[in-house]
Amino acid sequence: MKQQEGIQETVKPNLGVHRFAIVLACLTIVLLAAGALVTSNEAGDSVPDWPLSFGRWLVSRNHFVANVRYEYSHRFIAGVVGATTFLLALWVWFVERRGWLRKLALIAFAGVVAQAVIGGVRVYFPEYKALIAVPHALVAQSFFGVVVAIAVFTSRSWLAQREVRLDRGKPSVRMLTAATVAALLIQLVLGAGFRHQAFGIAPHIAGAVAVAGLIIWTSILVFRHHNEDDYLTRPARFAVALLFVQLCLGVAAYFARVASAGDPQPLEPMISLTVAHLVVGAATLATVLVLTLRCYRVLAAEGAQVSGNRTLARAARRVAV
Amino acid sequence: MLRKVGMICVMLTVASFVIVAGCKKKPVVEDAGETKPKYASKGDEGTITGKVAFDGTPPVAKKIDMSQDANCAAAAAGEKTTEEVVVTDGKLANVYVYLKGGGLEKFSYSVPSDPVVLDQQGCRYHPHVLGIQTQQTLKIVNSDPTTHNIHPSPKVNQEFNQSQAQGAPPIEKKFNRKELLIPVKCNQHPWMKANIGVLDHPYFAVSAKDGSYTIKNVPPGNYTVVFWHETLGEQTASVTVGAKESKTQDITYKAGAAAAPASLEIAPTLILP
Repeated sequence: MKQQEGIQETVKPNLGVHRFAIVLACLTIVLLAAGALVTSNEAGDSVPDWPLSFGRWLVSRNHFVANVRYEYSHRFIAGVVGATTFLLALWVWFVERRGWLRKLALIAFAGVVAQAVIGGVRVYFPEYKALIAVPHALVAQSFFGVVVAIAVFTSRSWLAQREVRLDRGKPSVRMLTAATVAALLIQLVLGAGFRHQAFGIAPHIAGAVAVAGLIIWTSILVFRHHNEDDYLTRPARFAVALLFVQLCLGVAAYFARVASAGDPQPLEPMISLTVAHLVVGAATLATVLVLTLRCYRVLAAEGAQVSGNRTLARAARRVAV
Repeated sequence: MLRKVGMICVMLTVASFVIVAGCKKKPVVEDAGETKPKYASKGDEGTITGKVAFDGTPPVAKKIDMSQDANCAAAAAGEKTTEEVVVTDGKLANVYVYLKGGGLEKFSYSVPSDPVVLDQQGCRYHPHVLGIQTQQTLKIVNSDPTTHNIHPSPKVNQEFNQSQAQGAPPIEKKFNRKELLIPVKCNQHPWMKANIGVLDHPYFAVSAKDGSYTIKNVPPGNYTVVFWHETLGEQTASVTVGAKESKTQDITYKAGAAAAPASLEIAPTLILP
């Protein structure tokens, strides 16, 4: 049963903040790709000092050769992302009335600082490569998720009037999408663990099966119960498409890796396939996160229908603002 | 909901630390503690010599792409190929040969004052396999017109990762514990690889291009001679050396024994703490 309750727009969208958040999200994808290139090219320890690089902030041309290109570029882009995150946090802090969103922007800034510190620890403790690199990967993707969330929360579509409906059925779509986000993060850890030789491929393959099942299940529920709502079906469709691409890339990357196991150095196409697999994984995480947030925006828990339409309206407004 | 997602992220970060910490633990090596008596020569030491042969067609050396560093491409002479299996006229080079048993572990041995040199030339390590004693100086030299970064990855010794620019002074390091064998790589030039064998006694050698090796001043006794190759694996032989005796111990690696390129680990090796 659909609930027809209008929601008054109490917060005006700040398009500048929204667009800046999108720019930061795009920069973060570039940074994720740069980080993947470092690992795929075995360049992780090519710059032996931190936070400087060979004793300088801007590395000299003589040093910018071979694997140093990947490691230093990664650091440079990370610096740009850090500065952009700082500006976004500052901007959100001063223009946003929603206190929780201001806190989220601060969390993003704290995340990028933590990520830089973890990267530095990785340089100084190469013997603990996997122990540090895996959380480094997890924090990177989590930071990306936070930035995507900020972009969603500052969007016009989030703050617009929306029809709120009951989220019927077991499991609820909201819970399923949130579980899928969690599963994606776990799958990411398993992938990073494999890439950094902490453990074998089997956990990551098992995770892929679980994630694929969750994405397909979620999408089926969205199409079945909310087929008329583009706000939900569009990210669901995109998630399924990305899942297909990601599975193909995963298989290709794995076989490329097996075929190249005896190579004297990392070579194509193994490098590009593994980087693409990582980036599409991040895009999948972002898409499912967007779907999750939108589900929480327009779907109310079944228990919310207690004292009539006002409860649904309150629930929806609480999520929006 | 945000709080829940945040909690999940924090829990996952902590969990990933814990899980990965349990996966690859460095073995704890207890130092002997007691002082071993120094080996005193009785003048009756012998010699073990031999040749390492390769039977069959050796695997084709793979080409190395040095284009990412123009200095390397210029400095490296001749064909740029891998050097895992180097066979010349049926003889195998770069086999690390060492002795076990014979009461060697009862004594401590003088550490040579001369350093062992590892040179970076033509963007390759020279030698590809070397032997060194514990506490002996390893002198790392950069003879190339480019920066290298020397990065051994030991399991029981202290790991280090140091940059060495063109013309920089040699880097000197020591390994305190015996370890067979420590892989060495350059993180700037990923094709550069070497192996270092560290023992607490001097009875080791590395086979030359003609496959020959010599282990001198071997006290009389019954020994196991271990032959280690980075891709062809390990073989052993038993040798008894009498007083002032010179023994010959040859070994042959067969082409079929060549290990397939390292396969990816399929099954998990997750060890929960």
